Amino acid sequence: MHILRHLQSDRAVGLLFIAPFVITALFFMVYPIAEAIRMAFYSYNPLRPDLTAFVGLANFEYIFEDPLFWASFWQATVWTLLSILFQTVFGVGLALLLHRALFGMAFFRGLLLFPYIVPTVVIALIWRWIFNPEIGVVNYSLIASGIIKEPIYWLSTPAMAMASTIMLNVWKYTPFVVICVLARLQSVPLELYDAAKVDGAGTMRRFFDVTLPQLKEVLIVVIVFRTIWTFNKFEEIYLLTKGGPGTSTFNLAVYSFEQSMASLRLGVGAATGVVMMIILLIGSIVYLRVAGFGENEK
Amino acid sequence: MEVRLEGITKNFGSVQILKEVNLVFPSRKFVTLLGPSGCGKTTLLRMIAGLEEITAGQIVFGDRVVNRLAPKDRNIAMVFQSYALYPQMSVRKNLGYGLRVRGTVSADVDAAVERVAKILEIDHLLDRKPGQLSGGQRQRVALGRAMVRKPDIFLMDEPLSNLDAKLRVTMRSELRRFHLDLNATTVYVTHDQLEAMTMSDLVAVMHQGVVQQFGTPAEVYSRPANRFVAGFIGSPPMNFLTAARRGNEAEAGGGVLSLPPLSDDATKAETVVIGVRPQDLEIVPVSGNDRLKGKVSLIELLGSEKLVEVDFVGVRVLVQVRADFPVKEQSEVFVHFNPDRLHVFEAESGQSIVKRATL
Repeated sequence: MHILRHLQSDRAVGLLFIAPFVITALFFMVYPIAEAIRMAFYSYNPLRPDLTAFVGLANFEYIFEDPLFWASFWQATVWTLLSILFQTVFGVGLALLLHRALFGMAFFRGLLLFPYIVPTVVIALIWRWIFNPEIGVVNYSLIASGIIKEPIYWLSTPAMAMASTIMLNVWKYTPFVVICVLARLQSVPLELYDAAKVDGAGTMRRFFDVTLPQLKEVLIVVIVFRTIWTFNKFEEIYLLTKGGPGTSTFNLAVYSFEQSMASLRLGVGAATGVVMMIILLIGSIVYLRVAGFGENEK
Repeated sequence: MEVRLEGITKNFGSVQILKEVNLVFPSRKFVTLLGPSGCGKTTLLRMIAGLEEITAGQIVFGDRVVNRLAPKDRNIAMVFQSYALYPQMSVRKNLGYGLRVRGTVSADVDAAVERVAKILEIDHLLDRKPGQLSGGQRQRVALGRAMVRKPDIFLMDEPLSNLDAKLRVTMRSELRRFHLDLNATTVYVTHDQLEAMTMSDLVAVMHQGVVQQFGTPAEVYSRPANRFVAGFIGSPPMNFLTAARRGNEAEAGGGVLSLPPLSDDATKAETVVIGVRPQDLEIVPVSGNDRLKGKVSLIELLGSEKLVEVDFVGVRVLVQVRADFPVKEQSEVFVHFNPDRLHVFEAESGQSIVKRATL
């Protein structure tokens, strides 16, 4: 009897401790997601709330028949894949560089965080100036150094605009990869490198046989997170190009925003969100399975 | 392959880790670098492996100076304290890695791996990953990885320190047996004097970056060159008594003890330190020459032996006797100091001043 009461009080204290998180999560995570899913099945115009009606799968039919949805989907895929590819390659490279115990490295490690800290809106505005074809510093430098003769229209041709948004994303989020990889690198046992040296492995083999396997787990996690965040990314594209020129840099987030806010089709916007969620959910699960995450723990 | 260390010095910044180490490891011998942590033994081993830069001096394998050779070009193999197995590779891949890196054809790699796995009795583990092995099994894989390439020189950095006490004892004799089978020179680093005594042909006792003594285990045990070696080797540790010397006698512990013959240049040393092992002392019932009178303060039973702590005037001494030896705490006893069993050190320098031609 005494033990039972003891257990009950333990359980009560436990519930008390997790209650703040659970309540907050219910309000700010579960409710909005549930609401978005509900809205995806309704026709809803905030200016005409009286016309709100359940429309079944009509919103989904609408987006699947909209060529702009598919264009946005492919553009989002390109933008995500290229962003992640460059972030990972540069991130690992920079982390390896910063891992070396050279004079002043602590300073560079600190400096590296800078792009990650500065708000996106500030960065996007600065980049718009930097990429300005007439007075931007990029064109000025390239012309002054004789690499190009004519100014490049960075943000006003479709291909260059996509490249510029990818560049911005890579620039801003590579530090995230660097930090994760650097933290892991610092816990790789040095004796493994010594053993590989004695075994006769050169620099490249040591990287592929010692470093990279040790980084595998952290890279899987980083890539999943970065993919989700990048695929959903809205503000960088919107602030830098507004999805243009034309609709050439639309991704699904921008498409959803345009449907909801510009065309006031909130149901269509919500349906787009639901589709994005399903894509990312399936994508992440398949990726984690294929990459064998957590295999070593078994 | 003979290994010669000539004037090896190592500095880390302004700190001198090794000071002019001169040692010759004869071909095919099992040589142990023994010393407390921080004495520079691991650094010295890593320099032999080529993993650490040499500040001054040279390392010679046979007749080849290897100072500038990369580890892979020295034909050495090394067993690390943490084993350093590649965690993502199977035992088979771990064992064959060194051969594969060197471009050995895969049929030969497989044959070599199977051969070594059989010797080490790990052939049933070949497809497991290191994470699925016990400490002792990992240890064998690490040994196997070193053996598979048939190195000239076998380097081991405290390979037994992560094993439990019982396994350590079995592995000691196994390592010794592998050494004899391999025909390679083995350099073994440890802080455990028991490992050094049981396995080695030669022991280099190191302290603060300096080789204190280099000799066979029997030599360093029975003729320690200085007080550090005397105190470091042997268990339980040697007793030390500070004594005032007069000719070939010394006053210590409230009595007078005869000393063994001292070296000729020792005549000036007036204050000496007498060292004597607990096993070399005898408890006797009556007074006599070279006997000190004392009181038993503590008795510790070790199993087949017991340690008797005897208080003399101002000093305590441990005496090891058989477990059934009749002695009681608080009783008065006489302890016999056999002059032939005494070690005498100059108080200031700690150097041995005993003249002994042979053992």
